[in-house]
Amino acid sequence: MEYGFDINYVFDFIPKLLSTLNITLLIVAGAIGLGLIIGFLVALPRLYNVPVLRNVSMVYVSFFRGTPILIQLFLFYYGLPEILKLVSVDISKVPVIYFVILTFGLNVAAYVSETIRAAVQAVNRGQVEAAYAVGMTGYQAFTRIVLPQAVAIAIPVFANLVIAMLKDTSLAFTLGVMEMTGKAQTLGSLSQHFIETYIALALIYLVMSIALERLMLAAERRLSRHLRRDSNEKNRFFTRKRKRLTLGRLTGELKLDNKEVPRYEA
Amino acid sequence: MIKLSGIRKSFGRHEVLQGIDLTVNKGEVVAILGPSGSGKTTLLRCINYLEKPSDGEIRIGDFSLDVRHAGKKDIYALRQRSAMVFQQYNLFSHKTALENVIEGLIVVKKVGKEEARKRGIELLEKVGLGAKLDAYPSQLSGGQQQRVGIARALALEPEVILFDEPTSALDPELVGEVLAVIRRIAKEGITMIIVTHEMGFAQDVANHVVFMDGGVIVEEGDPAELFGNPKEERTKQFLKRFTSEYSYSI
Repeated sequence: MEYGFDINYVFDFIPKLLSTLNITLLIVAGAIGLGLIIGFLVALPRLYNVPVLRNVSMVYVSFFRGTPILIQLFLFYYGLPEILKLVSVDISKVPVIYFVILTFGLNVAAYVSETIRAAVQAVNRGQVEAAYAVGMTGYQAFTRIVLPQAVAIAIPVFANLVIAMLKDTSLAFTLGVMEMTGKAQTLGSLSQHFIETYIALALIYLVMSIALERLMLAAERRLSRHLRRDSNEKNRFFTRKRKRLTLGRLTGELKLDNKEVPRYEA
Repeated sequence: MIKLSGIRKSFGRHEVLQGIDLTVNKGEVVAILGPSGSGKTTLLRCINYLEKPSDGEIRIGDFSLDVRHAGKKDIYALRQRSAMVFQQYNLFSHKTALENVIEGLIVVKKVGKEEARKRGIELLEKVGLGAKLDAYPSQLSGGQQQRVGIARALALEPEVILFDEPTSALDPELVGEVLAVIRRIAKEGITMIIVTHEMGFAQDVANHVVFMDGGVIVEEGDPAELFGNPKEERTKQFLKRFTSEYSYSI
């Protein structure tokens, strides 16, 4: 069979690839969910300066940020069953996708913990004192005053994390998971139209990334509305107008927005 | 009545407060004066435990707390009896003016939302911000933010309001509006302790003036007495710089 580029294959492959979209989304959602919970727990010892746990957190973060995610996948997939065998737990029958979600989740957690730490520290300490002076407990001050502001500060970084995660799911195919990239491999091999497959694949990732970016941008706008100096009404009009202007120039818009969020005064 | 006995506080080896005794009667307005580093702000922050004293006893109304055996619950109880107005306002920046005022009522005093709102609006009107209920702190001027801070303190109906240099961060044009509000609530008989550099204001509003230096109370007394006829050499020296500012009103 002689190879010739045929655009029709691209359109043909898109629905076929989308049939495995749920696996990709499952990995993203699972990893982010897990990452948020673990990341929060990992951040706490460093925020509160707990002696030994603080160092454990630091080692944890260094490991997951300092090694390639692909190596982490292999280490967990091949290594974890071996370690658990030592304590007579057999997990060799556990589906691969759980290993993938666990590894990605732990990886995301490392970044999430750093993001949370930076964001919490960016919230003006004086507001915590004000909360105490009003009579709040440490827990109330954290959940009602610090956390909402920290989340608003962390959203842009978190958005990057989610999008990076989405793209990293493509590594799961190296362990044989039939997510979109795995499916693309198969389609390519069967049809011998690799370029068309990967164009289709890239398009899907791109559209999903843009959708996520939009979503996060909306969340960021909503959560940091208190940092705007202009009144709400004027602002709503302004946002709508600018949205139209910059549609399709997303990265530019994101940069603009980052500039708009001032840091708290020291 | 507020009674501080033997309050001590050290930062490392440096003893910032060297045993402070102070009594403030109900309805009294006490101004604490003194040069930077004299420990006046630290003393104020010790009263509501934002700074943990190393030793001493704090009594606010019927509640008394011995620093050596203070548990978390005691500290929360102590803090509920006072409120603070900060130099940097320290408003909750993700909350509107009204939400700032009623936050403590809802979270700490467990007042119902509707009732808290009503009370919050009343108080904001009282400090002249009835039109700014839904403004975020970033949309308010420094003077307006500080007035929200005062309303927030008033909302808790504390036994004493602690003012930590409430006008020091404001530009001169805005100082007046904040002082006017403080002056007005002072007339209502609310007990206040004010750390300030506004000598004229202290002399005018306070019933009792305390001069601190080097971690001790050097001299205290009636404002006319302390400003007009200070006994200690250190007080005279400190007040000399402000003579021109207040001499007209003696």
